[in-house]
Amino acid sequence: MARPIDFPPPFGPTDAIGVPTDPPDERIEVGVLIVGGGPGGLACAIRLGQLLDEHPDVRERLGDVPVAVLEKGKQPGSHLLSGAVVEPRALRQLFRGRLTMADLPTYGEVPGEAVYVLTRRSAYRIPAPPTMRNHGNVVVSVSELGRFLAEQAEALGVAVLPETAATKLLVRDGRVVGVRTGDRGRGRSGEQLSNFEPGSDVTAGVTLLAEGTQGLLTSAAIERFGLQGENPQIWALGVKEVWRVPRPLRRIVHTMGWPLRSFAGYGEFGGSFIYPMGDDLVSVGFVAGLEARDVEFSVHDVLQELKTHRLVWKILGGGERVAWGAKTITEGGYYSLPSRFNAPGLLLVGEGAGLVNVPRLKGIHYAVESGMLAAETAFRALQRGEVPSRVGALDPYDEALRASRMWKELYEVRNMRQAFDKGFFLGGALASMMTVTKGRVPGRALPTHPNSGAPLIKTGRAGRYPAPDGKYTFDKLSSVFASGNRTRDDQPNHLELTTRVRRPVAEAWAWMCPANVYEVGQDLGDGMVSVAVTPSNCVQCGAITAKGGRLTPPEGGSGPEYTLT
Amino acid sequence: MKSLVFLEHHGGALEKGGLGVLGKAASLGDAAGVVLGEVAVAVAAGAGAFGASRVYASEAEALAAPLPQPRVDAMAGLVEQTGAEAVLFASSVLATDVAAGLAARLDAGLNWDLTDLAVQDGGLVGKRPALGDTVLVDVGWTSSPRLALVRSGALDPVESGGSAEVEEFEPAFSDFSTLATLVEQTTEAATGPSIEDADVIVAGGRGLGSPEAFALVEELAAALGGAVGATRAVVDAGWYPYATQVGQTGKTVSPRLYIACGISGAIQHKVGMQGSGTIVAINKDPNAPIFDFCDLGVVGDLHQIVPKLTELVRSRA
Repeated sequence: MARPIDFPPPFGPTDAIGVPTDPPDERIEVGVLIVGGGPGGLACAIRLGQLLDEHPDVRERLGDVPVAVLEKGKQPGSHLLSGAVVEPRALRQLFRGRLTMADLPTYGEVPGEAVYVLTRRSAYRIPAPPTMRNHGNVVVSVSELGRFLAEQAEALGVAVLPETAATKLLVRDGRVVGVRTGDRGRGRSGEQLSNFEPGSDVTAGVTLLAEGTQGLLTSAAIERFGLQGENPQIWALGVKEVWRVPRPLRRIVHTMGWPLRSFAGYGEFGGSFIYPMGDDLVSVGFVAGLEARDVEFSVHDVLQELKTHRLVWKILGGGERVAWGAKTITEGGYYSLPSRFNAPGLLLVGEGAGLVNVPRLKGIHYAVESGMLAAETAFRALQRGEVPSRVGALDPYDEALRASRMWKELYEVRNMRQAFDKGFFLGGALASMMTVTKGRVPGRALPTHPNSGAPLIKTGRAGRYPAPDGKYTFDKLSSVFASGNRTRDDQPNHLELTTRVRRPVAEAWAWMCPANVYEVGQDLGDGMVSVAVTPSNCVQCGAITAKGGRLTPPEGGSGPEYTLT
Repeated sequence: MKSLVFLEHHGGALEKGGLGVLGKAASLGDAAGVVLGEVAVAVAAGAGAFGASRVYASEAEALAAPLPQPRVDAMAGLVEQTGAEAVLFASSVLATDVAAGLAARLDAGLNWDLTDLAVQDGGLVGKRPALGDTVLVDVGWTSSPRLALVRSGALDPVESGGSAEVEEFEPAFSDFSTLATLVEQTTEAATGPSIEDADVIVAGGRGLGSPEAFALVEELAAALGGAVGATRAVVDAGWYPYATQVGQTGKTVSPRLYIACGISGAIQHKVGMQGSGTIVAINKDPNAPIFDFCDLGVVGDLHQIVPKLTELVRSRA
């Protein structure tokens, strides 16, 4: 049986590592460099800004740009997508004494909740499993939250640089010294167009990677410094839509079961979320593990299928889709965490470092909390008399993480995601036992398996997807449009993959991709086909990295322009 | 409403984009044109036929190169002199630079990416597509003058048959405005008639089946005296040059007649040609989205229909 893992990309993580090449007087020097303008990177920037305000002497020593955030999206928030129900404790802590939750862009506390197990025609309400109780949590658009956090960071003197992709981690003498930003204005075959601008070396005392899911430099750093965890990392893919609805929804809804098939051999694990965003907007999404085995498994189409259920129609019917987007979610959990979260000159933060609580469906608060802890460690390492690139200088960050509540929570659910490899019902039973025993069952680490290693099967999955009508159910191309994506077409392909593969692998990529990037090309004989790639459709969800290819950042400012997701 | 419209010219003729904005501005009140750079005075008079009541022109040396800062000086001076309430631009690389610079200079508000203009309660209001061009929102200004950049191809020039007095003026340039010099200017070689200015466009999509089949499209375009357009999919596949790409990430066109051959009509294509006068679609898939918004749809094999159509057009010519 064909497996994507047998067709590795012509690109390894360490290809994203280099040494500074710009002459010293042309490098951009900053104090602390943060890669990624999401909740983790921006929380770190804000915390650093607060600390530097309290210690002007340290700010002075860090030069003209004490803290810089690189963001590859058009603006902060452009590439942020989540459910999202957020546990507010970390945000409260970040703004303690300055702002209250009422000052943040949220849609208020969760008004009530319901969990359903679906079949094609019915919905059975079940009591919310303990990990899925959300009393006191708030509904947000993480894209809106990102924009807000960026404004807060800028007000504290942080330089936030959008449309800037970090393409290489700069390492010299075993120490991370910064990153190189991507070129702009290259043509399809890499030639320099009339508006060509080369990237720059940005060097810093401390470089913090907060790239979120599938970070290129994070995976390069893990490889380079040998930081791999016990289990391989795995991912799920989430596709969501925002709807303007005629009737307000007064609770958050989670569903399990249909349209997924419960037999373990299909590897279909996931569920849906439906969250109210005020009176007239609703966020609806589907998340499924990327270990699904049917070549025709497509989360985008499963979401369309879900919308045809009576339960969902009652919420969305008569409404209008106003946004769409997709992103992978890091799902490996405790045993897939890196063995260390720092290396000389380097700190790893948030989802990129695997800090996601899958059973609780949450990671934004861990991103914020780890960002703050990283900021405090970086700040201490930049004081007079300390050298941040000294081996061990950043170890207090690891110690702080391991002493945190987040660590304890992650440990308690350490095997829960893996339990669902055994199918929905047995997995559910095992997960309940793990909850009751706070993770002591089964008494050992359950393994994860790389998403790209699952042998592909064909069971006619696509026959179940509804035909898009362009009003209630949608095809992928019009969805890409709704993501705001208007990427320049004539730029180099940023997707590294083998384009000569077994037919099932090409088919699996074509179905998997929510943005219509891959198509099965010509038949090359012997069961092999070419893969046709349309990189400008890409919304940088990262599924291809989980499934045997490699997403790298395209020219800064490319990709989706999320505002509500 | 009294407005100034920034008009660009190229090869001795005024650009269509600026004239489209001028026509709209003239329908809303008194509109004066501004033409800057080499041969500006000679070219300026032509704006009268498109609704300008008066045209300000300057051939000052600092304006010879297509650089923004000297133009910001010139425009700022004219705003002060004329008391214009609005300054309007048709989107282009140069116009965008000038508009942004002028906004900063005058501390004025600038709305961009507009597709239409209107007057409400005596003041200018812009129409701006939002949420991926799915809705139109009204945008206003809180101060005067009101600066606006109109999306290229959104407004068509309207010939009014009038004439305008050309007033030559000498802008005052700031020292810092003339520091930049033009080092090199290169021109991308154009292939065939420019699709942005064409009255007729025949466009080909993946339904053509092969790059060779573009010959069918080219022949029909030639018979109609029009230009050839292409979809992103075929440009991506290397069948046709990028300069002909119509759509969200290519050109926005509004010819009087648009013939789509083998084009499904994905929204990415639609937003680049929906302003066309008459849209004719030839596609063998009856479920193709293009049949939802074309004026005349033909379900059938374009390889048979297009050559016959070409023959018919030629025989009547």
